Amino acid sequence: MTTVTAALEGYTQQLRNNRMGLWLFFISEAFLFGGLLVTRFYLWGNTRPELDQTIGLIVTAVLLLSSFSMNMAETAIEHGDRRTFLGGLVVTAVLGLVFLIGVMVFEWGLFPAIYEGHLTPGGDVYGAVVFAMTGMHALHVISGIIFIAIVWNLGRKGGFSSERHWGVESCAIYWHYVDVVWIFFYPALYLIGTVAH
Amino acid sequence: MNNSARTKAYGRSAMIALTLAVLTIIEFYVAISLDSAIFLMLIALFKAVIVVQAYMHVSRLWSPEGEH
Repeated sequence: MTTVTAALEGYTQQLRNNRMGLWLFFISEAFLFGGLLVTRFYLWGNTRPELDQTIGLIVTAVLLLSSFSMNMAETAIEHGDRRTFLGGLVVTAVLGLVFLIGVMVFEWGLFPAIYEGHLTPGGDVYGAVVFAMTGMHALHVISGIIFIAIVWNLGRKGGFSSERHWGVESCAIYWHYVDVVWIFFYPALYLIGTVAH
Repeated sequence: MNNSARTKAYGRSAMIALTLAVLTIIEFYVAISLDSAIFLMLIALFKAVIVVQAYMHVSRLWSPEGEH
């Protein structure tokens, strides 16, 4: 066995282990988000608070769009297109920030001068669940943006290649996971049930 | 890898995004017209499966090559 073949096999094995580890982490996270979803259905039943439907649709579209740009970035590095790769990461991070600002301004009402929210974390069961669900999700969006910034910085310095880019792949998968969580949270918060608050 | 393979990959990525966008619009109108929690969660599940399969490459977990 040549040194190159041995190194490649070592990398392949490491890649398999890394992937398995990341997916096991997602399974553990699914219990957290699943618990929040169950809490929503247990406490709200077939009701929901009055949340702005347009804002809900816009932030959902922004997050879906960010998944697309992240996939573009990952596809780009797979094909050695470094410019699209770095650009895709920047677009994804910016869209993530837009999502975050949308949540903070229009769901949490953190800036009353712009938008006065009617829910508070300790106000009632609706506010508590909305803040718990969106808060935990926002925490993952923030960590995703930090992850993207790290990958972008490494990529800028030439840290990844079309053959070796586990850092990019893991960052992309993590970002898509955050998107998958929102795919379930969006109907649970905005669409299911009749307005009761 | 050549340019056509890259363009094809970008096109596939765009098609998946378009499918997700259409499903989100359907979801919104289902909520307005039908108000069915089960149907809405089924659409969400379908969207999640698309993301997990196409964007998160879950099938790579059991691919023997272990490539990217």
